[in-house]
Formats: sequence, structure tokens, C-alpha cells
Amino acid sequence: STHLDPDNPISPETARALWLSHETSTHSLSQQLTEHLRLILAPTLATKLRGDFRTGKRLNLKRIIPYIASGYKRDKIWLRRSQPSKRSYQVMIALDDSHSMADSGASSLALKTLTLVSRALAMLEVGEVSIVGFGDTVTVAHDFDKPFTSEAGARVFSQFGFQATKTNVRGLVEKSLGLFEEARRRQGGKGEELWQLMLVVSDGICDGHEEVRRLVRRAREERVMIVFVIVDSSATPQPAQQPGVSSTTPTATTDNNSPAGNPENLPEAATTIPPPRQEPQKTSILDLQSVEIIDGKVVRWKYMDRFPFGYYLVVRDVRELPNVLAGALRQWFGEVVGSG
Amino acid sequence: TPRTMESTAPESKVQVRLSTRHADIELPEDPGPLLVSTALNRYNLSKLVNNLLHTDTHPIPFEFLVNGQFLRTTIDDFLTKHGISAETTLNVEYTRALIPPLHVSSF
Ligand SMILES: [Mg+2]
Repeated sequence: STHLDPDNPISPETARALWLSHETSTHSLSQQLTEHLRLILAPTLATKLRGDFRTGKRLNLKRIIPYIASGYKRDKIWLRRSQPSKRSYQVMIALDDSHSMADSGASSLALKTLTLVSRALAMLEVGEVSIVGFGDTVTVAHDFDKPFTSEAGARVFSQFGFQATKTNVRGLVEKSLGLFEEARRRQGGKGEELWQLMLVVSDGICDGHEEVRRLVRRAREERVMIVFVIVDSSATPQPAQQPGVSSTTPTATTDNNSPAGNPENLPEAATTIPPPRQEPQKTSILDLQSVEIIDGKVVRWKYMDRFPFGYYLVVRDVRELPNVLAGALRQWFGEVVGSG
Repeated sequence: TPRTMESTAPESKVQVRLSTRHADIELPEDPGPLLVSTALNRYNLSKLVNNLLHTDTHPIPFEFLVNGQFLRTTIDDFLTKHGISAETTLNVEYTRALIPPLHVSSF
């Protein structure tokens, strides 16, 4: 089934009311993010003097001796200030529409995040915004070439029900790269420097990590940046984890993989009667453990240690978002500009 | 019977939360939800609980109840049969097996 579940419709009125309520409650945070992004996304204004020109502002001293030696023929001896090329952006926000979002209570924080970020980008006016939903399938909820207004936001909301029975992140990245390629082709003739960015908003629980890792590499090759925003609805809000750059080959902690039954492994308190079990608390994804049975041995590791996205951040409260997201983007721009 | 868990098709995962009503087999520390393959069955889950109890060398045979129903198949087949999606965190209760598994004969 798709996430457009006819048994669970969100009426246009409900979607509109919800959008407006989130828009109001996140308004100042959106403005905050807009200001951060304005600084990060704008091309550097302090340009360098460069080049060899026949006329210009300042002499290039390295060219003077060859100039004289050539009998005043090699006369490109001037430096000029180069203009920064105009940048434009295509930003896709991909919202997890799977049922685990509703089950964990992450869906509300995810919708607030979507509102905050999409509003900030619309206010910034640096390019195009698209919104897709993913679960069993991928659905385009808002196209790149349409303006992102409040009306559009309400329409987007009406398409999310958090009922999908799968979280196909592999399918999402694959489909999105196609959408980005299309959008790139459409934008091609404008002679602007185009940057493509994808923000995945999800509880972070997904399968098929190896294939996802391969697709994340492909995205990098196609110059599409992916930032994974994990909305973590664990019970006690703590300061957000700083934008993580997980290494591509993380070392897994495989506790208890040592020969089992070693008396040293027995906890001292094993013989005492433990206190009555508490009502299970919501657990942060940072504490979630993965388990596999490999060659008959139980292997456990922290789920996030092998998370397939290099750029991810964990958000527990929408108020953390402007700073944390800006931090991740700043880091990425630093790396891209620094390496290019 | 071979019990290897080599993954073939993209395998699906599900979060499980283990619990028991019997104080003597309670886990020394609550591991919280665990993300496991839906290809696991009673045998594999038994291994997991013994690992968490540090009883791997003298494993206790366990039975499992998922949402109150005995698990006799893989988790995947169980979910399909009961129309539950792997997007839900499963409450998995374990209890000592009344009939030990076939390979344990020293009773
Ligand atoms: Mg999910």
C-alpha cells in the first residue's frame, strides 16, 4: 500500500491548520536559520586578484621579467579582481512517511522540522525547493519548479499519513538522484553555478545499509550533498549531538563476542534479585543496538556506528535545529570549497 | 539442520524489546530495543537471550511470545501471518521452554 492511505486521510482543512500552527510556532527559528544560511550559502565576496590580462588594476610582478625578456611582447602582466559566479541551489527535503515515525512519536517533530527548514529556504530565495515523501515508495509532494508558498506547505502536509509499512531509504536515494539529474538538466542553460542538496528527515531506522552506502558514494560523485537529519523523540531531551561525520568504515563494537561463558563475564550482582522492571522508556537512536548472528555467534554493535550516511545530525528538539543544521552545512561547504 | 544466517535478499529488520515475567531469568541490564533481522526464529532468539544472560556455555532453552502469541516460525513469517509491519517495535516475552530443544538430551 502507498502512504496515501484512503483509510487515514488528512483533510485539507486539518493539514492547513497544522501547517499554519507549525509555521507560527517555528517562525523565529526559521528566521534564525535563514540568517545562518545566508552567510553559508552566499558566494564568498572577498575575491582574489588573479590572472594575466593586458589591462587591469595591479601589476603581476612575476610577469615583468618574462615581459622584458620577450621584447615587451608577452604583455599579459595585469591582475584583475575576479567576480564570484552566481550560485543557485536546488534543495530537496525528503520526509520519512513510514509507520515507525508514528510509532515512535517522531512524526510531529519531523513535520515541525519540515516546516522550519522549508520556510527558511523560501525566505532565503536562493533557489528551488522540492519535497518528497518516502516509505514503501517515493512520492513527489512538491516539485522543484513550483514556488513554495504557505498554500504549497499545507498541500504537502495533506500527503503525509505516516502509514507506510516499509522504510525504503535505498529506493529514496536512487529515485532522488534521478530527480536531481532531471532538475540539473532543466537548469543547465542559465550559466549559474548549481549546488544540489538533499535533507532527509527521518527517525533513521532503515535496512540495506551496504546498498545505501554505495548510493551515498554515487551521490557524492554526482555532486549531490546528502545531510541526514535524524529526529529522535527519546524521552529526555539532551543537547544535540554535534553534526557527525562518521567515518566510512566505522569500527564496530562487538561486545560479548569473546568466548562466552567466561566466569569473568558474570556480573557480580547476578545472584541478587533485581528491582522490579520499570516501564520501558523511549530509547534514543544513539543507544540502539543492532544484533546479528554470524556463524552461530551473537554479535552486537551500536546502530549509529555503522550508519551509512556520512553527514548526519540528531535532533531532539526543533529549537536545536538552526544551529545544528547550519553547523553541518558549514562543515560541508568548508570541505567542498577547501578541496576544490 | 543448518542454522546459518547468510543474507541473500535485502533482509528486513525489526526492533524488539525483550522481557520476561520470571525474576531468575531477567536480563542483568536492560539492553533497550534491539534491531534484529526478521529472519530470526526461536532458536536464534534463544541464543541472543543466553548471550545477554551470559549463559552461552550452558544455554537455557527459551520459548518466545510476540504480542502474546507463541513464536513457532521466523519473525518474518509471524509478522506476515498476523498482519504486523516491521515498522512496529515488537514486545517479545521469553520464558523457559517446557520441552527442551531436540539437541539437549541430558535431562
Ligand atoms: Mg520507518
